[in-house]
Amino acid sequence: MRHLITATVNGRERELSVKSNQTLLDVLRDDLRLKGTHEGCSVGVCGSCTVLVDGKPVSSCLMLASNAEGRDVLTIEGLSRDGNLDPVQQAFLDHQAFQCGFCTPGMIMAVKGLLNENPKPDQVEVRDYLSGNICRCGTYVEVMAAIEDLAAKGQ
Amino acid sequence: MRNFDLLEPKTVDEACRMLDAGEDVRPVSGGTALLILVKQGLLRPQVLVNLKKLEGTNAITRDGAGAVRIEAMATIHEVETSPVVREHLPVLAAACHQVANIRIRHLATIGGNLAHGDHQSDPPGVLVALDAEVELSGTRGTRAMKVTDFLLGTYETALETGEMVTAVTVPPVRGRLVGDYLKFTTGSSEERPCAGITALVRLEDDRPVEARLAVGAVAARPLLLCETDPTEGALQRMAEHAADEMDAIPDLRGSAEYKRHLVRVLGCRALAAAWKEACP
Repeated sequence: MRHLITATVNGRERELSVKSNQTLLDVLRDDLRLKGTHEGCSVGVCGSCTVLVDGKPVSSCLMLASNAEGRDVLTIEGLSRDGNLDPVQQAFLDHQAFQCGFCTPGMIMAVKGLLNENPKPDQVEVRDYLSGNICRCGTYVEVMAAIEDLAAKGQ
Repeated sequence: MRNFDLLEPKTVDEACRMLDAGEDVRPVSGGTALLILVKQGLLRPQVLVNLKKLEGTNAITRDGAGAVRIEAMATIHEVETSPVVREHLPVLAAACHQVANIRIRHLATIGGNLAHGDHQSDPPGVLVALDAEVELSGTRGTRAMKVTDFLLGTYETALETGEMVTAVTVPPVRGRLVGDYLKFTTGSSEERPCAGITALVRLEDDRPVEARLAVGAVAARPLLLCETDPTEGALQRMAEHAADEMDAIPDLRGSAEYKRHLVRVLGCRALAAAWKEACP
């Protein structure tokens, strides 16, 4: 069965025909060819597939695509503006807050979600919010430094 | 993911009629629990009924008498951040904040959490401690029952075919409640609870008149113990009694013996903290 939905993806309104059993992640990667959102565990634990829906982080691997109807979906591809990186992306680069990079798009989207909700989080709030985003290279210290920098600049 | 058809009702009545078609038709709301079972091949529904798009089913309100009503499609994050819940039921807000991670809390719903019947979850034990009721709608009408009677065992609830959870209601509290939810995980912080302890003391005219201890995640159903003559000694005996009573389920998170030990230690600790808050 297919469902016709309208959703905004990275600022552009799209009409999508999605299958009943497709997740938002499936539609982003397979139909829209937005390969920046990664599938890690596929059970909502690792955070690799984090995207923002109406500004809030969700596991796109567990969200039925049909439920994106009328929603505003933001993926890692939608962050940069006019060739300029988003401040969160730039901070990750400045602090080398990644190694292999697999978790990075999800980690960056989770940080966007955090800063949307709380522009100046303290360390405890950051750890709590990001506890569900796993980096197997262990770049947590650098990620924390990047966020501290962003919070100090109020970005 | 395995193939299924997704039906999308607009009203609760329509949803119940769709769900009445039989065992191969299952409801789905946030999907964070059910879709994992489908992905793993543990559940093979032909049809899922999408309850997430039902309109006007996520309000959180408090009536004049002080009962807090949370509609079923409220997300765990909406419960945890609701000003009503934070002010009047802080223990529920605290427990919901500890469910999984922020991404799951934005998707998962309180109704789905109860209907799923997973014993290894944070909210059910707290709702049992708060004496909450669940409201059900079905093709044969509506009914309400205590959460403690609704939860029958692991993945087992009192839901009948053609029925769905529409709300959970916490009755007005006589006097005031103090205490907290204590979650213990043997894995990472966002893991499912190995034990979830709710310890509450109810005060009337600033005098402690009742203590409640609810233990979730340890056995197939939450255990609730109440003490109407609370003293420090009685509270200690409550935790010991709970540990002895529990039919603890051994799993990757710990043996039955280990979990009973946790109930004794954490039960004592949580009740002592609640008592200290009640009688500073």
